[in-house]
Amino acid sequence: MTLLRRYGTLLALALIIAVFAIASPGAFGTVANLVNITQQMSLLAIVAIGATLVMVVGEFDLSVSAVVSFAGIAAVSLFGVGYGIATVFVLVIVAALAMGTVSGFLVARFAVPSFIATLAFGTIIGGLTFWISDGATLFSGIPPAFRDLGRGAVFGLPVPTLWLIGTAVIVWLLLDATEFGRRLYAIGGNREAARLVGLPVRRDMIIAFALSAGLAALAGLLLAARLGSAHPTGGGGYLLSAYAAVFLGMTAFREGEPSVPGTLVGAAIIAVVSNGLTILGVPSFLQDLMTGAIILAAVLVRQFGRAGD
Amino acid sequence: MTSEREGRQPFLVLAGVSRHFGATRALDGADLKIAPGEVHALVGENGAGKSTLIKLLSGLHQPGGGAIVIDGAATSIAGPLAAEALGFRFIHQELNLVPHFDTVGNAWIGRRHPHKGPFIDRAAMRARVAAVAARIAPDLPLDRPAARLTPGQRQMAEIVRALMTDARLVVMDEPTSSLSEAEAERLHAVVRQLAASGTAVLFISHRLDEVMALADGYTVLRGGRTVGAGRVKDIDRAGLVRLMSGGSALAEALPKAALRVASSRDVALSADIAFGPAGGRAMIEIGAGEIVGLYGLVGAGRSALLKALWGALPVTGSVRLAGRPLAGGPAGRIAMGAVYVPEDRRREGFAGALSIADNLALAHLADFRRAPRLPLPARGRIRAFARDVGARLRLVAASLERSPLTLSGGNQQKLLFGRWLGRPIRLALIDEPTRGVDVGAKAEIHDEIRRISASGAAVIAATSDIEELMALSDRVLVMNGGRIVADLSGAVLTREAVVAAAFGHAPRSHPHQPNQTAAVA
Repeated sequence: MTLLRRYGTLLALALIIAVFAIASPGAFGTVANLVNITQQMSLLAIVAIGATLVMVVGEFDLSVSAVVSFAGIAAVSLFGVGYGIATVFVLVIVAALAMGTVSGFLVARFAVPSFIATLAFGTIIGGLTFWISDGATLFSGIPPAFRDLGRGAVFGLPVPTLWLIGTAVIVWLLLDATEFGRRLYAIGGNREAARLVGLPVRRDMIIAFALSAGLAALAGLLLAARLGSAHPTGGGGYLLSAYAAVFLGMTAFREGEPSVPGTLVGAAIIAVVSNGLTILGVPSFLQDLMTGAIILAAVLVRQFGRAGD
Repeated sequence: MTSEREGRQPFLVLAGVSRHFGATRALDGADLKIAPGEVHALVGENGAGKSTLIKLLSGLHQPGGGAIVIDGAATSIAGPLAAEALGFRFIHQELNLVPHFDTVGNAWIGRRHPHKGPFIDRAAMRARVAAVAARIAPDLPLDRPAARLTPGQRQMAEIVRALMTDARLVVMDEPTSSLSEAEAERLHAVVRQLAASGTAVLFISHRLDEVMALADGYTVLRGGRTVGAGRVKDIDRAGLVRLMSGGSALAEALPKAALRVASSRDVALSADIAFGPAGGRAMIEIGAGEIVGLYGLVGAGRSALLKALWGALPVTGSVRLAGRPLAGGPAGRIAMGAVYVPEDRRREGFAGALSIADNLALAHLADFRRAPRLPLPARGRIRAFARDVGARLRLVAASLERSPLTLSGGNQQKLLFGRWLGRPIRLALIDEPTRGVDVGAKAEIHDEIRRISASGAAVIAATSDIEELMALSDRVLVMNGGRIVADLSGAVLTREAVVAAAFGHAPRSHPHQPNQTAAVA
């Protein structure tokens, strides 16, 4: 029972994989498909890892999907006026970091509830994206080399998977093995205590929001690279899935706190369910239904576990 | 002076410090002297200024007057980091640990972590904390999250954190209030050990036995002023109580409430209950037309008792009003003629999004329906009721259709009384009738309480303000540790007796009268 409480979410992931593997050994249970799932979850997981940073300080960033869309549109637009790949990468990421800084500043300095601040600012970013793109899907002028950043494989692993691994390792080390990470967890755990021992609470919170937006922009760039195009609402689906992954992850490890490994487990569950049900030919509304039910079940198991402590 | 041991010279002196918040004088000429290696107790009633004084030391507030002198030099403590740099460490009453961090993680918050390359070195972190813990709390679990430590262990984890770097002064705000006897003993041993190593310890305590047993020196604050200081060996508990309460002479000089003849009173409220998570117990009998003051230090259980009687906290046992059992939560109590005024008017008192008039009608919405079975509010009747109540209580409001947040504190408080008017009241449970209210409104609220009482209601009024307690009450119940420890009326109802009981000190001058004491041991 304790085991179920502690590692219930991990066990659930294993169980879901096992069920699909039995139901569809020929299609789901192949190595190629499992590798494919890591690619399918990669962009979602990168956005979710950014959201994790903000969740660690106890806040929400509802602007992530707007930033994903913005990054794709901004990148393709910049290619259109002749900028190179490296320049575009840097410009788009820097722009996103600035956007995150604004959100973080509103929340940390003026105590605007993050729900409202990032909802409003995300809407502004969405409007900006429409303005730049004129509401159209952009695809002309994308260099082939840029497309290779979001497709193909290196050492047998899909390129998006490699981006995910890199992001996950860096943010995991940042949160788990640096003083900055300890400060973020301290702020999220007891903001008053953090303030009383003189931690730079505002600055660290702003950095968390900036990094969240930066990672959303990275996902947006990779999305545009993979599709070879950008749509002004291309990132729309990422917000809820990303937070679903973070919440699932919080049920997976350590005292119910958001963490990178937890978020990866959460994103994997969402990706596996989606992939498996698609292979079995289940309609997509049933997939949503299943995903929602799994999140509720994970949280409920956790709550009962708490009550038993 | 030079011949005296360095250890006995005060290194920290507060000279006549004051601090005002608006018109409230939280500190008004307080003095304090602490020497290295000294255990110093800071005592005083609620609101005497102890917390404010500590906030000056921690740099959270700046003194408005007077000086903080450290090692002979006037010093300004700009903020928490400055206090930390001076070697001052604070263990606040509400513990400031991160719940999901273990002892090691908590000890390092806000400090420069040891690093191995770019990453923090967890092994070194743990080793440093283990070294500190080994001195004072060898059996403290280092790897368990603070949320799963016992209160005593959390206290130790805070002390370990305080001692990670050299500390000159450790300040503890009521360190033993939530500890078991054994845990408190353990903490006392650590305090003595700290003092022996030359660290000064300043602690606030409401337990006089603890002060007498543990402290070398004491400072008594009253009304923001230092009214006594010295060596603990030169004073006894009764002496401390006298200093805190302002002495018996003052008690007699107090204006007594409008004297009302308490002839053959019927018992209106009788309760014998266990309540609240902290294991409170109370046996109470209150007569119709009687005003009973409820006194106790912070955390003594006054608010919990009132909430329990109001049915807003889990409660077991019997509560009877005029012989009939009270049940059904607040709604059931309202139906039987009971009313409640909560302690925190903003959080528990009214809905800021509703108008003043709607807030006044909130407790009796069914009385303001267009028709008895039609749950639509009759706006006109609500407005008329609000106007009546406003006139009776002299409510000063720009418009009764505005939010109560537009009212002054005194008028907000009147609103909480006003919502119960217009119906017979048989029991009034009032938690802090006039906190943060100006003098004029205070008198008007006191008049209203007396009117409610005169109409035959049993009134219980909990207050931290001893002046108000003495002015308002026919009888005073004193709580300590969730229990009623004294029942004072008539000749034995003095400020001194009230304070002594609240601090858990039975004054020898007033022998116990068993029939007067409703304590449940």
